[in-house]
Amino acid sequence: MSAHNRGTELDLSWISKIQVNHPAVLRRAEQIQARRTVKKEWQAAWLLKAVTFIDLTTLSGDDTSSNIQRLCYKAKYPIREDLLKALNMHDKGITTAAVCVYPARVCDAVKALKAAGCNIPVASVAAGFPAGQTHLKTRLEEIRLAVEDGATEIDVVINRSLVLTGQWEGSDFIKTSTGKETVNATFPVAIVMLRAIRDFFWKTGNKIGFKPAGGIRSAKDSLAWLSLVKEELGDEWLKPELFRIGASTLLSDIERQIYHHVTGRYAAYHDLPMS
Amino acid sequence: MAATRAGPRAREIFTSLEYGPVPESHACALAWLDTQDRCLGHYVNGKWLKPEHRNSVPCQDPITENLASCLQAQAEDVAAAVEAARMAFKGWSAHPGVVRAQHLTRLAEVIQKHQRLLWTLESLVTGRAVREVRDGDVQLAQQLLHYHAIQASTQEEALAGWEPMGVIGLILPPTFSFLEMMWRICPALAVGCTVVALVPPASPAPLLLAQLAGELGPFPGILNVLSGPASLVPILASQPGIRKVAFCGAPEEGRALRRSLAGECAELGLALGTESLLLLTDTADVDSAVEGVVDAAWSDRGPGGLRLLIQESVWDEAMRRLQERMGRLRSGRGLDGAVDMGARGAAACDLVQRFVREAQSQGAQVFQAGDVPSERPFYPPTLVSNLPPASPCAQVEVPWPVVVASPFRTAKEALLVANGTPRGGSASVWSERLGQALELGYGLQVGTVWINAHGLRDPSVPTGGCKESGCSWHGGPDGLYEYLRPSGTPARLSCLSKNLNYDTFGLAVPSTLPAGPEIGPSPAPPYGLFVGGRFQAPGARSSRPIRDSSGNLHGYVAEGGAKDIRGAVEAAHQAFPGWAGQSPGARAALLWALAAALERRKSTLASRLERQGAELKAAEAEVELSARRLRAWGARVQAQGHTLQVAGLRGPVLRLREPLGVLAVVCPDEWPLLAFVSLLAPALAYGNTVVMVPSAACPLLALEVCQDMATVFPAGLANVVTGDRDHLTRCLALHQDVQAMWYFGSAQGSQFVEWASAGNLKPVWASRGCPRAWDQEAEGAGPELGLRVARTKALWLPMGD
Repeated sequence: MSAHNRGTELDLSWISKIQVNHPAVLRRAEQIQARRTVKKEWQAAWLLKAVTFIDLTTLSGDDTSSNIQRLCYKAKYPIREDLLKALNMHDKGITTAAVCVYPARVCDAVKALKAAGCNIPVASVAAGFPAGQTHLKTRLEEIRLAVEDGATEIDVVINRSLVLTGQWEGSDFIKTSTGKETVNATFPVAIVMLRAIRDFFWKTGNKIGFKPAGGIRSAKDSLAWLSLVKEELGDEWLKPELFRIGASTLLSDIERQIYHHVTGRYAAYHDLPMS
Repeated sequence: MAATRAGPRAREIFTSLEYGPVPESHACALAWLDTQDRCLGHYVNGKWLKPEHRNSVPCQDPITENLASCLQAQAEDVAAAVEAARMAFKGWSAHPGVVRAQHLTRLAEVIQKHQRLLWTLESLVTGRAVREVRDGDVQLAQQLLHYHAIQASTQEEALAGWEPMGVIGLILPPTFSFLEMMWRICPALAVGCTVVALVPPASPAPLLLAQLAGELGPFPGILNVLSGPASLVPILASQPGIRKVAFCGAPEEGRALRRSLAGECAELGLALGTESLLLLTDTADVDSAVEGVVDAAWSDRGPGGLRLLIQESVWDEAMRRLQERMGRLRSGRGLDGAVDMGARGAAACDLVQRFVREAQSQGAQVFQAGDVPSERPFYPPTLVSNLPPASPCAQVEVPWPVVVASPFRTAKEALLVANGTPRGGSASVWSERLGQALELGYGLQVGTVWINAHGLRDPSVPTGGCKESGCSWHGGPDGLYEYLRPSGTPARLSCLSKNLNYDTFGLAVPSTLPAGPEIGPSPAPPYGLFVGGRFQAPGARSSRPIRDSSGNLHGYVAEGGAKDIRGAVEAAHQAFPGWAGQSPGARAALLWALAAALERRKSTLASRLERQGAELKAAEAEVELSARRLRAWGARVQAQGHTLQVAGLRGPVLRLREPLGVLAVVCPDEWPLLAFVSLLAPALAYGNTVVMVPSAACPLLALEVCQDMATVFPAGLANVVTGDRDHLTRCLALHQDVQAMWYFGSAQGSQFVEWASAGNLKPVWASRGCPRAWDQEAEGAGPELGLRVARTKALWLPMGD
């Protein structure tokens, strides 16, 4: 994580002055995907970069220490070693940006990562995930316990009832959604959030991070997200301190694409290790 | 080829996260050129035409590569193409609309099947970003064909009373997309016309389209494409078989063509200039508006540059965002899938370099940014600000890819600045305040207005312009009428008189002398020029005698001159905003009041008509019919304009019918009352104000009507100037602030009016000496009048929460 958001006086006039033209933003969202693509080596390099932004996530009711362990191992070795060697990228220490689990699984994750000998941070959803509709007291307690267990990043679900009544909260990162909604990370919403991040930076000098989560499954999607951030905020936001992708199945599709780039063949299911 | 060039290895890209080339193969375009042995001729009558002993010019992509050579047409090739189109017209126009609809649909299907060839060829040769051609133009080309196929299939019912003009000559400018051709050939072919398109040297995409259409079979010769130099334009335009010339290009070329076609057989439709306008208010979503600027000027969508007006209070913010955004634009080979802008060749590059250098020397600040190859013919996105409004650069058209930004203080001032140019093409308004957006949208004098969007297009929405952007239209119903004429009217013939001296026509007024006292049973006729709501003495302080049918003196009318015309036009302008702002209902009410007044004056009017030789019955009928015309137009105007629904757009597009402004009408000699009223009624009903020259043989009827207008109408609505017809015609036709002119009179006068209209490119309607049956519904009050009396504006209103 970068330096924390130092915060600023709450000035609601900033929010009331913001104008968002919905149809225009929808058009921009369509254009961004059509106007920027990367191919060949550029695609491979961008995909490897995308790996380093992934918060490799499992948020299932039936998570146990064994699949958490597998997840953590995959976080450490996201792409097959021989594929990285072929691209001359094996010594770049490519891992995912973090693993992201429920609070009760933080212990398992910390243990598994230690066993794997790496310092990938553990992120935990907390504070009444995914609805945020629990008491402030239990929400805070949940965060405290997760931190105690070794989580270094907390994804908080804000109390949306407060937002809808105009009472805002601050943060270091903003996330499109929990990933548990029917509609999750979409480009139009992301464009509005990215522009808000830029405006806040211009006004205060604070860089806020951005994390789209939910529904980002294909390698192609991840490339579009990278170029969206590059186009709207610039290269300085393209680092794990300021950009994360919350995803669970994305990584395997990226690995398949890398496999194809290196070998020129499409991989079978069993060619790549599961996560 | 670019794909194999040695790029940075993955390691470096991993760190820099730069974009790489995304080359699109143009192998199929080259293969197609090979089928022509890399030598392109013309496509005429369903066959390739490659005459011998013709000059040829190289066809290059904008960077350097020499692709093929193109034969240049000569006059005899033009004649052959026009003859082929004329022969094809007989069969094509005789078929029922459904047959034409099927043919257009088949062409759309062929384009769909070979779209890769079309887009790679187009992008390769023009240098425009392939994404824009592939996702925009090629798709729209198919939609255009489908839309116009539907129009063709319903032609017999929906366009009853109209018939196709004949062979259309289409002239396209050096830098254009093949889509510009599609916009025009689709409506022309749909209604039954056939086309000869003259494209500039080295434009293979139109030739490919003609080939695809020609190979469809039964109708070769409906679309013929010649490539040739600009010197062929007048030759094509004056071919006797050509019924209409549709010209797209630079304003000065359009003006010259207007002059040279005066009195010729062919009608002329002009679509001139490429500049667009964007109004950014302080309630706009500035980031989205900045994307609008990119769409307009830096995305290879529009052909030209952009004038950008920014409200002062958001100037800094908008400029900062604009410059930030410019830094992320990418330019490169058109066939690269990830560039915003391609290169448009040396000529475009020279033009913009000259403009920017001059702007700098006149004190402007120039900002350039973006990832752009440094060598020619690439040119970076350019933002020009602080250009003094009075400097020469501020007056000329902004070239691609330049945006000229200037501030405004209030919405009212924005309108003054925006309307203060001779151009009237397209504009967008960015404001989140509905009332303000509509106020600006309605107030802008342009053909298309987008609210919070820029550059949207659809086959069902008319696109065109006003003022010196030319008043021809494509798309929607207006596009169809461009190629139709009322059924049964005599064919437009050439009225060219080679020895008409434009410098002296109507210059001098023959002196008039007293012809004795007025005699007769009727009361003394009204005297004076009816200007600004009252009768005034003419500047010349002289009068001309009007004789009745038996040669006796009927009365004197004032001898109007240039100064009187100037005063009348001024009075009409003063009255215009108030009158145009009235609701159609209110305007109708006044026309009905005038009708009632005419009926009260019936006996006077009838007796004056009798003195001009009419039977009493016929005279009374003429008065009654005149009153009916006033009432009919009052009723008709309330049903004008309508809403269009466009695919892929939430929200309506309004097709508005706006008044032209000050309309000058020179009335025919015959039907001194009925013709006058038949022309006055639609003009006023649609919100125009008028300056009218009444029948020269008997202006007294019009002056009688003026007596009623003086009491019924606000001052200045209708101004009537009597005097020497040619002289008044000259004054009106040369007046730069008259927005349109109708002339019903001699062939020579018509030719002069057409020639003189080139000054401000006002739309003109000249009878060329052909009489009209004013008492017949079709000619006296038909839809043609309703079409010519107002101009269309398309107002796009996308919606979203």
